[in-house]
Amino acid sequence: MRPPGRPLPFYFGPSDKPLFGCYHKARTEDSRKCAVVICQPVGHEYINCHRALRQLAARLSEAGFPVLRFDYYGCGDSSGNAEEVRISQWLEDISTAISEARSRTGLVPVCLVGLRLGGALAMMASSQRGDIESLILWDPVVDGKSYLDGLLSLQKELLRFRPKPRGGYKSPAYLDIVGFPLPHCLYTELEMLNLLTLTERPAKNLLFIQSEPATGEKALRDHLSQTKARLEYQRLEIPQIWLPTEDGSLLVPSEALKSVVSWASRRYS
Amino acid sequence: MREEAVLFGEMESLIGIVTDPVRRDGNHLAPAAILLNPGIVHRVAPGRIYVKISRALAAAGFVVLRFDFSGIGDSAARHDSLPFEQSAVREAQEAMDFLKATRGIEHFILLGGCSGAAIALETTCCDPRVIGGVLINFPIAEDEGGNTNPELIQRRAFHYYRNFALANLKSWCRLLTGQSDYRHLIRVLGFQAKRRFASGRKRSSEATRFEANLRRLAGRSIQLTFLCSQGDLHVDDLREAGGNELEHLCALGRVTLKVILQSDHTFSSLYDQERLLQVILEQLDSITPTHGNAAYIPEGPATPRPKSDPIYR
Repeated sequence: MRPPGRPLPFYFGPSDKPLFGCYHKARTEDSRKCAVVICQPVGHEYINCHRALRQLAARLSEAGFPVLRFDYYGCGDSSGNAEEVRISQWLEDISTAISEARSRTGLVPVCLVGLRLGGALAMMASSQRGDIESLILWDPVVDGKSYLDGLLSLQKELLRFRPKPRGGYKSPAYLDIVGFPLPHCLYTELEMLNLLTLTERPAKNLLFIQSEPATGEKALRDHLSQTKARLEYQRLEIPQIWLPTEDGSLLVPSEALKSVVSWASRRYS
Repeated sequence: MREEAVLFGEMESLIGIVTDPVRRDGNHLAPAAILLNPGIVHRVAPGRIYVKISRALAAAGFVVLRFDFSGIGDSAARHDSLPFEQSAVREAQEAMDFLKATRGIEHFILLGGCSGAAIALETTCCDPRVIGGVLINFPIAEDEGGNTNPELIQRRAFHYYRNFALANLKSWCRLLTGQSDYRHLIRVLGFQAKRRFASGRKRSSEATRFEANLRRLAGRSIQLTFLCSQGDLHVDDLREAGGNELEHLCALGRVTLKVILQSDHTFSSLYDQERLLQVILEQLDSITPTHGNAAYIPEGPATPRPKSDPIYR
């Protein structure tokens, strides 16, 4: 029997494309009637946000929620290489994770929590499926083009302060973004990503957390408020934890974590 | 290749991934490789490089374990008050115990970046099961204070001038056309000269410990590789702190010092990562040349390497 609060690591999903997950069992006797699935960002943002999302899972489990964190195909500890990833695969991975969370907990209601690209993927998956009860979007990527611009300028900035890789090293198949390959096919898919084009209501309950005004987020807020979802918007003064900083990364913005736990606890009291 | 999520350690609280090769040819005497956290980053590491290393080594026939020390990544925090330097060594040993218990492996090669390299060296010194290591960007001392530490600022500037500006045409043009900050340049060079030649300069406790650790290893049949990024500040410290002991071990062929040109501390380009992988595979092959085919024999004389070997720069 695992001591309460300690995550259980395991692989799940299709045997030819196993996904890595960490299951945090609800710590309290009376588990809340909703399983939480955390959709992480990708690339360097995944590395920078891992610590905060692990803490978030621990706090949600402390508050009585069973939580599943997982890595998409080609990311983190999951199988596959980053050169092969596609948005459709990641959406499928979210569905696989939802099924896994449901079968582990025996609960049908699911709350997806998505940060950055994880937020966009969570919203796309929710809109497609139509069976997600609650959705928490934390600084989601609203517009793929702006997201790509951000990645490219970060890479450019990085090259200003490090030795230039020799020999004009470039692969025809992908771009190098802070040491993570961004395949051209994925680049094209991301260019077309726009959450404002989703017409279906993604979930019954929605929390939208924003740390800094960014392209498209005001529009997304307006877009979401037109759906029949119960929307709560929170503007928080917290760092953009997905970005590398002078003082180091891996920040844990306690205020955002508190906000997510408190909102979810109110929904499932 | 097969990946398995595992829990191990005294309290079953350490989380890791074991990558098993497709075939081990029943060779339980072949060593396994263990990857130690680079700083506080979890076991995937920047650029997912630990996953790439694990898979490449498994493809070469090694069993590989990457895991998180307690309080880092997914592993739970400890409930005792052991300092990190001690708990991490103990947990690296628990990782070896785990692989012995589950795979029958008795010898190990430790790999780690940054503080992971320091823990790898400490563990190597105190555990005879370790027969080799690849220590990436070994930190001699903590860079306390970051951008507010004046000594660190000067050292960074000197490192930049020596390793990059010196070979950069634009930098020379700026220097010769009066566009450089001469005052800054002189200040940095003066600082370095003072640092190097000041009489009675006290060695740091970390440098003393590093040299002592190298001495402890001199009597053992061990193969260590220090891999440094050219862009990493610690490459100069390593040579300075290792002193004669390091040079002696390099000459004996027990220690190899390799600098990966044009790379930075975290190998933040895919090109850096490819070269890092290549060097790691070469080093592990040199430590265990027969691991895939026959029983590994850990003891035996190392091949002496001439002092003029270009590897030792």
